[in-house]
Amino acid sequence: MEQKTKKNDILLIGVILVLALAAYVGVSIFQDATTHNAEALVLIDGEEYGRFPLDTDVVERIELPDGSYNVLVIEEGKADVTEASCPDGICVNHRAVSRQKQSITCLPNKLVVEIRNGEESDVDAITN
Amino acid sequence: MEKSKKFSIFGVIFFILLIVVVLFNQNQNQNQSQSQSQNQGELSPYKKYDASFFDVFDTITYVIGYSTSKEEFEGQVALLKEKLEYYHRLYDIYNDYEGISNIKTINDNAGIAPVAVSKDIVDLLLYSKKMYEETKGQMNVAMGSVLKIWHDYRDAGTNNPANASLPPMEDLQEASVYCDIEQIVINEEELTVFLQDENMSIDVGSIGKGYAVQRVGEFAKEIGMESLLLSVGGNVYAVGSKIDGSDWRVGIQNPDSKSDEAYVRKVDVSDVSVVTSGDYQRYYVVDGEHYCHIIDSDTLMPADYFASVSIICKDSGRADALSTSVFNMPFEEGLAFVNGLEDVEAMWILNDGTVEYSEGFELYVAD
Repeated sequence: MEQKTKKNDILLIGVILVLALAAYVGVSIFQDATTHNAEALVLIDGEEYGRFPLDTDVVERIELPDGSYNVLVIEEGKADVTEASCPDGICVNHRAVSRQKQSITCLPNKLVVEIRNGEESDVDAITN
Repeated sequence: MEKSKKFSIFGVIFFILLIVVVLFNQNQNQNQSQSQSQNQGELSPYKKYDASFFDVFDTITYVIGYSTSKEEFEGQVALLKEKLEYYHRLYDIYNDYEGISNIKTINDNAGIAPVAVSKDIVDLLLYSKKMYEETKGQMNVAMGSVLKIWHDYRDAGTNNPANASLPPMEDLQEASVYCDIEQIVINEEELTVFLQDENMSIDVGSIGKGYAVQRVGEFAKEIGMESLLLSVGGNVYAVGSKIDGSDWRVGIQNPDSKSDEAYVRKVDVSDVSVVTSGDYQRYYVVDGEHYCHIIDSDTLMPADYFASVSIICKDSGRADALSTSVFNMPFEEGLAFVNGLEDVEAMWILNDGTVEYSEGFELYVAD
C-alpha cells in the first residue's frame, strides 16, 4: 500500500514535470511566433498601403495615382525596393531591410517601407 | 498512510512551485519585451510611442517619445508637426505662402526693398551670420546665387540623366560675386531684412532645418515632452534621455548602401544633436561621376573629401551648419577646426570607408 502510494506520487511528480515542460515549451513557441511575425508595412504619404509578411516571398508593384511606382520584393525574409519611377533612385539603391524599424524611404513618391514586429533593432534613430 | 499523505502534499507543493517557476519565466519574458517597447519600470504610466510624417523640409520626420496614451502622444506630435510646418514655410526659398513673408519673399525683393519678416527669420539669419564667423566663411547663407545654379543643373540632370551636365565654371564664378553676407542687412528693431544687391539670394539649406529642429525640440520640452527623439531627415535631436535615464542610441548610416551593415557606428546620446552631411543621398551623375548637393564655397564645386561627416553638439542648428562646413574641409583642416571648438565632436567616413574621430568622439560610441 505504502509502496504503491509512493509510486503514484512519483508518477504524479513525473506527470507534473512533463506538463510544466510542455507549458514552458508552449509559451516559448508562442513567444517565438509573435516576435517572428515580422512584416513590411508600406505607407504612402503616411497612409497605410499594405502589410507584407517577411516569411512569404512576394513581388508587389505599388502604383500611385499619378503613374509613379515602386516595386517591393520580399525575399529571404527581407524587404527590398528593386525598381522605382523616382528620378533619384535612392530607394532602389537602399539595402534590403529586415529588422525592427528599419525602413526604406522614397521621398519623391512619399513611400515608406518599414519593418514591424521584426527582430528588435538596437538603434532609436538614424543620422544620414 | 500518513507517509503517503506527506508525499501527496509534497507533490502538490512541487506542482505549485513548478507553476510559479513557469509563470515567473513567462513574466520575465514579457517584462523584457515590455522594457524594449517602454524602457521603464512596470509602475510608470508612460509608454513609448513613435510617429512619422512627410510634409516638412522635403524629408521624413520621426518622433519617438513617451506618453500616457496613444491619443495624448498623437496630440503632442500634431503640435510638433504644426511647429515644423511653420518653420518650413518661413525658411522656404522655393514657394510662396499666402499671408506670410518668408526667405523667398526676401529674395524676391533683393535690391528693391527691405521686407518685414517674423522674428524667427531674423533670429535664423543672425544665427547664420554667427555661424559664418565660426566657420570662417565656409557656411554662408548668402551663397544662394551659386547654389541656385547647382540646384537647377542637378534637377535637370536627375530628371533627364542622359543629358546631365555640369554648370559652366564661368557662370558659377559670375554668381559668386554676389555672395557677400555683409550685404544681408538685418534691422533687428524693425524686423526687416534687405538684400542690397538684386543678384543676391539667401539659401538656408545648410542651417534652416537644424535651426528649426532645435526650436521645435525646445518647444517640445515646454509642452512637457522631456524625453524625445526628433529626427527630421536624419537631423537628430535627442531631447533629454530615455525615460529610464539611459541614452538614446543613434545609428550613423553606412554610406555604402549595398553593404549589409546599416550603420558604421552607433552613438549613445542625451541632450545633444547628431547631424550628418553626406554625399550619398542627394546627388546627380554626370559622365559616371557623382556630384553631391553640398557645394564648397571656395571651389564652388561639390566637395569630394568624404562620404560623410557627422557632428555631435548641443545645438541642432549649429550641428547642421558645422556638418556642412566640415564636409567642405580637407580632413586635417577639419580635424584641427573641430578639436579647436568646445563641446563639438565629429566623425568622418572617408571615401574608402575609413573612419576618423575628433578628440572626444569616442566617448559617444556604443560598443
